[in-house]
Amino acid sequence: MQNRPLPSRLFCRNDAAMAQPALIKTFAAMLLSATCWLAAGSAFAQDAQPLKVLRTSFRVAETGFDCQRLSDVYSNDVCAQIFDTPLEYDYLARPSKLVPSLLREVPVPEQGGLVYTFRFKPGIYFAADEAFKGVKREIVAADLEYSIKRLVDPAMSSPNSWQVDDRIVGLDELAAKAKKDGKFDYQAKVAGLQLLDRYTLKITLKKPDFNFLYVFAMPTLTPLAHEVIEYYKDDITAHPVGSGPFKLVQWVRRSKIVLERNPEYREEKLDTTYANPNDEWDREVVKSIAGKKLPLLDRIEIYPIEAEQPRFLAFINGEHDLLPETPPSYAAQVMPNGKLSPTLAAQHVRAFVELQPELTYDSFNLDDPVVGGYDAQHVALRRAMAMGFNRGQEISIIRRNSAMAAQSPIAPGIVGYDPTFTAVDQDYAPARAKALLDTYGYVDRDGDGYREQPDGSPLSIEYKISSGGLSYLMLSQLWEKSMRAIGIRLNIVTVQFGDLIRDQKVGKFQLTGAAWIADYPDAQNFLQLFYGPNTGSSNNARFRLSAFDKLYEQAIAMPDSAERNALYREMNRYILAYVPWKLGVHRSYIHLMRPWVKGFKKHPMYHSRFKYLDIDAVAQQAGHQ
Amino acid sequence: MNLSTFVMRRLLHMIPTLLGVMLLIFVLFNWVGGDPAYILAGKISDPKQIENIRTQLGVNQPYWVQFWIFIKQVCTFDFGRSWATNELVSDVLLTRVVPTLTIMVPVLLLETILAVLFAVLVAYVRGTLTDRMVMLGCTVAMSISFLVYIIVCQWLFGFKLGWFPVQGWSDSFITNLVRYAPLPILLAVMVDLAPSLRLYRSFVLDEMNHDYVRTARAKGLSENTVMLKHVLRNAAIPILTNVGIALPGLFVGSFLLEVFFSIPGLGREVVESVNRSDFPVMKAITVYLAVLTMLTNLLVDVLYRWVDPRVAFK
Amino acid sequence: MSSVMGMPVARSSEGPWRLGWRRLRRDHVAMWSLAITLLFIFIMLASYTGLIARNWNAEVAASYAEPTFDKVTNTDIHSPIGIQRPEAGPPVDISDIDPLAPRYQEWRERTAKIQAVQAAQAVRLPLGADQWGHDVLAKTIKGSEISITVGIVAALLAVFVGTALGALAGYFGGWIDTLLEWLYNVLTSLPYILLILAVAAVFSRGFTTIIMILGLTGWTGIYRLIRAEYLKHTDRAYVRAAQALGASHASRMFRHILPNVSHVILVQFSQNVVGFIKAEVILSFLGLGVPVDMVSWGTIFAETQEELVLGKWWQLVAAGGSMAILVTAISMLTDAMRDALDPKLQE
Repeated sequence: MQNRPLPSRLFCRNDAAMAQPALIKTFAAMLLSATCWLAAGSAFAQDAQPLKVLRTSFRVAETGFDCQRLSDVYSNDVCAQIFDTPLEYDYLARPSKLVPSLLREVPVPEQGGLVYTFRFKPGIYFAADEAFKGVKREIVAADLEYSIKRLVDPAMSSPNSWQVDDRIVGLDELAAKAKKDGKFDYQAKVAGLQLLDRYTLKITLKKPDFNFLYVFAMPTLTPLAHEVIEYYKDDITAHPVGSGPFKLVQWVRRSKIVLERNPEYREEKLDTTYANPNDEWDREVVKSIAGKKLPLLDRIEIYPIEAEQPRFLAFINGEHDLLPETPPSYAAQVMPNGKLSPTLAAQHVRAFVELQPELTYDSFNLDDPVVGGYDAQHVALRRAMAMGFNRGQEISIIRRNSAMAAQSPIAPGIVGYDPTFTAVDQDYAPARAKALLDTYGYVDRDGDGYREQPDGSPLSIEYKISSGGLSYLMLSQLWEKSMRAIGIRLNIVTVQFGDLIRDQKVGKFQLTGAAWIADYPDAQNFLQLFYGPNTGSSNNARFRLSAFDKLYEQAIAMPDSAERNALYREMNRYILAYVPWKLGVHRSYIHLMRPWVKGFKKHPMYHSRFKYLDIDAVAQQAGHQ
Repeated sequence: MNLSTFVMRRLLHMIPTLLGVMLLIFVLFNWVGGDPAYILAGKISDPKQIENIRTQLGVNQPYWVQFWIFIKQVCTFDFGRSWATNELVSDVLLTRVVPTLTIMVPVLLLETILAVLFAVLVAYVRGTLTDRMVMLGCTVAMSISFLVYIIVCQWLFGFKLGWFPVQGWSDSFITNLVRYAPLPILLAVMVDLAPSLRLYRSFVLDEMNHDYVRTARAKGLSENTVMLKHVLRNAAIPILTNVGIALPGLFVGSFLLEVFFSIPGLGREVVESVNRSDFPVMKAITVYLAVLTMLTNLLVDVLYRWVDPRVAFK
Repeated sequence: MSSVMGMPVARSSEGPWRLGWRRLRRDHVAMWSLAITLLFIFIMLASYTGLIARNWNAEVAASYAEPTFDKVTNTDIHSPIGIQRPEAGPPVDISDIDPLAPRYQEWRERTAKIQAVQAAQAVRLPLGADQWGHDVLAKTIKGSEISITVGIVAALLAVFVGTALGALAGYFGGWIDTLLEWLYNVLTSLPYILLILAVAAVFSRGFTTIIMILGLTGWTGIYRLIRAEYLKHTDRAYVRAAQALGASHASRMFRHILPNVSHVILVQFSQNVVGFIKAEVILSFLGLGVPVDMVSWGTIFAETQEELVLGKWWQLVAAGGSMAILVTAISMLTDAMRDALDPKLQE
């Protein structure tokens, strides 16, 4: 990276023209331009302050930056750097803790979790954009009201509308009316969204909800300027305008995203309240960036690279400074035996190992006549299949040991996660699996090596995966082998990605693989995948057990407490008993960075948090020699 | 018949072919194209939302309505916006074609020049051990899969030796040409050279078997003159025909190269649009390529007949 | 033919095939290529019948075992794998809500009676093991069986379709020719990759699928050649003679003309086999190849993608080497056959 002089226009700001005699004006102009020229020249000469540029990659390409309309992780991640949200997660606190960002304080649940009052900080402005026609635009509570309405606008068909669907009084009725009228009336008043004053919004919910605030840490529910939306119309995905620490300056789709510092970003410094003095990463963060005005980076270049080898080699070769989520295939090379490889250690590369708040799993279809059902015989089939699958090989060979066997659907680091909870009948136990199948009548009667159903009809189960890409290929190979070893015929069926999603949602499958990453750090986000009424929207296993549903409904009306954790434990026991899922693993990722990247601590709920990163530009230049 | 009638006839013939292409891709997409609504609906969705998306995309309308819209789109060159990214499809095509051409045009030029050069050289020494070794080398080179070349060369030249960047693309044309394109271009030339060399060698040898060559030699002309002035001139016709046939392929590029080297080109776009069931992009690329193929074939035919006066317009 | 007026007796004319074979025999390179090809086909048949490489799917060694001529055993890792949970408690008790609880006792008894898996025998691994611990040599042999089969069967399909359509177009001409020309133009105007993805999407991933994909997209080349040949031959004297003698269309097309173009067909078939073997590699990389429980050169190459950076080179060398040898052999054989059978190249 070569040096660039600081733009000379920073030193040549023109004040409003003054009514001066022409001569003085001319003289002043000459003096000014001479100064500019000298300043620029000295910047050239001195290598004064090299720009702080971070180059990194995404492992999946982005789609666009209208985060209400799009829901993929990486587009959201870029939005999170451009938009401020009402609330955010504290950078250092673990487990995740909500702290105010645009709001003055975290709203306290009122009336038993029915009402929340949002009080915005005054004096925060959107970044300058031509849509504002030169006016400096302050963020007001009405912008959040507009944003909430836009999320449920039928014309948006937003995949994120579930965040507010059926929660806010009067909102769903307005959306239904908009569907009938063909147009959403943004001026109409919604009973549950009350503007108390310029900076205050009072939200009233239909039912008590103690997890409601989490959605306001996501870039989907950030205050939006309606002028920008109306100005750019369909091009809005290329023109995100927020008040955040960075602005989008260049976008070559699926190839390069460039962010630059927002010069008008408000005063913000690292909050060290929750820093843990015993954590080495916390110590480094505090040492590097405490007390400094954020953001520290001048420019960020993000390169989406979906192929593993090029993305990995780009970091190793020095083309990139930060490698988030090292491809698992190279994990053993980067950290053999759990320690950083000598080559990388010699280059002072640092590695952050993170157990992400997610899990992989294989889902049965509980409505299927062969594998579904709640009676002992069918439960036995699913339990046997779960025990027949060689999860040990999945972890050691496919995941290269960078994974933890999941004991429940709840991921580590999530509120409600119990580190002592150990599952039963989910680990590899082929003898028990075979014995169980024998007990319940799944025996091989015709000697072809595969078992039949208890009534004698042939047993053949389909494992459905997507045809594009090799991601589930090895896993499906392992499934086929494991099932063959216990005598169950498993056919791997590949379909187009879009069709796979559809088949999973409408229940046209027997067994399929998937993964779920936390949208917010509460166990409810995972357990809602088993809630009966969610069948067809997020409950793809179509699990409908009234005992489970009753526990779930009790739990969502409670805040985090020992009683709620007891309910979660009960729900987990039902899941283990009826096996709607074969639990997979929680994957761990290694994030690599060069020694000149400072201030890094991977937050489980964010993919990137660039406003806290710093680059030692001198060391970076030296490193490239 | 004369030139203009010939061209007119051929242009008219293009219409049923284009309609056939459109019909084919329309049938293929609606039959096997995958359902885009579910991809767009996200992690948590309900049937109401899916219906909503379907209506927005226009896939709920009867087939003949959709096909009529398709015809209108082809006539106006406006395919709307991508279903996945909401980008204007025309933008998609224009921005993707530049990287593809940045790779493919140098490849074609280099590969043709080198192949002709080596073909002539080898024809000089036809029948000798050198000739046979070169031919054997070509055959062996052709037997290795392109995929293997990419994997090994990217690792060897990009990683082990560090001569080229492993992947990437920038927005400056010069940077691309000088820094990012060389390794993919080198790979493509390596792979394409062998078959072209074999083919051109056979063209040159065919020419050399003709009577006029014997006459020229009998007249006492040097071997150099015979080769370069007479044989090469005549062999140029089938060589150029071959280059012409390769022209449409220039625009779709090699998707393998683009995927491995992260080049935002048209080939990669085709695969991705199929994976995402992004019909507008698929439609646009297919129609655009079909028209291009037909036009280049026409152009090659016209040039061929202009260059070789023995061939009449039929 | 008897000698009548003292003229020398002419030998009965040999068919073009006999002549071609004689010429081929004189070409040493061609003979070696033929031998290598036959060797591969022999190995392929042996593999198909299960004589060799029957247990390629067995995990006989540790993951990524290196090539060695010593005997190694399967060292299954029993040490803790993956990330451990230091605070883990005992497995939770679900007997009060478990539908299987009533028959726990019976289940326990049956489990006790099932024997443990016996220890694996030691094997030699001249080509090392892949990440599952499969013997790469066995895998390569099985892979070549599948790849060669795919190549041959798909080529047969393509040749069959292309010849049939080419014969119809060249022989009948008229509207049949126009229609087939239109079909040909439409199919060749589509980008090849799009066509492949489209056909692949119709059928689920499977052995017949990949043959269909390759066969149904690869017939255009031979179609063109056969059509040209039939155009040439249809007006020839011998065909007209057959017509005068009352031969039907089908008879003229297939009994009379076809043998005269069979050398073109053979050469095309051979080229197609090579082309399809190479195409299968790309398709497997895209995830459209043979089913998951089968192995082919393509699936092996797809795995080598990540192995190379890890320094595991043996699968790449094994599959790459065997494929290169076979494809080179067939290519050289094809060239020699073309030269031997082409009447124009004769003195």
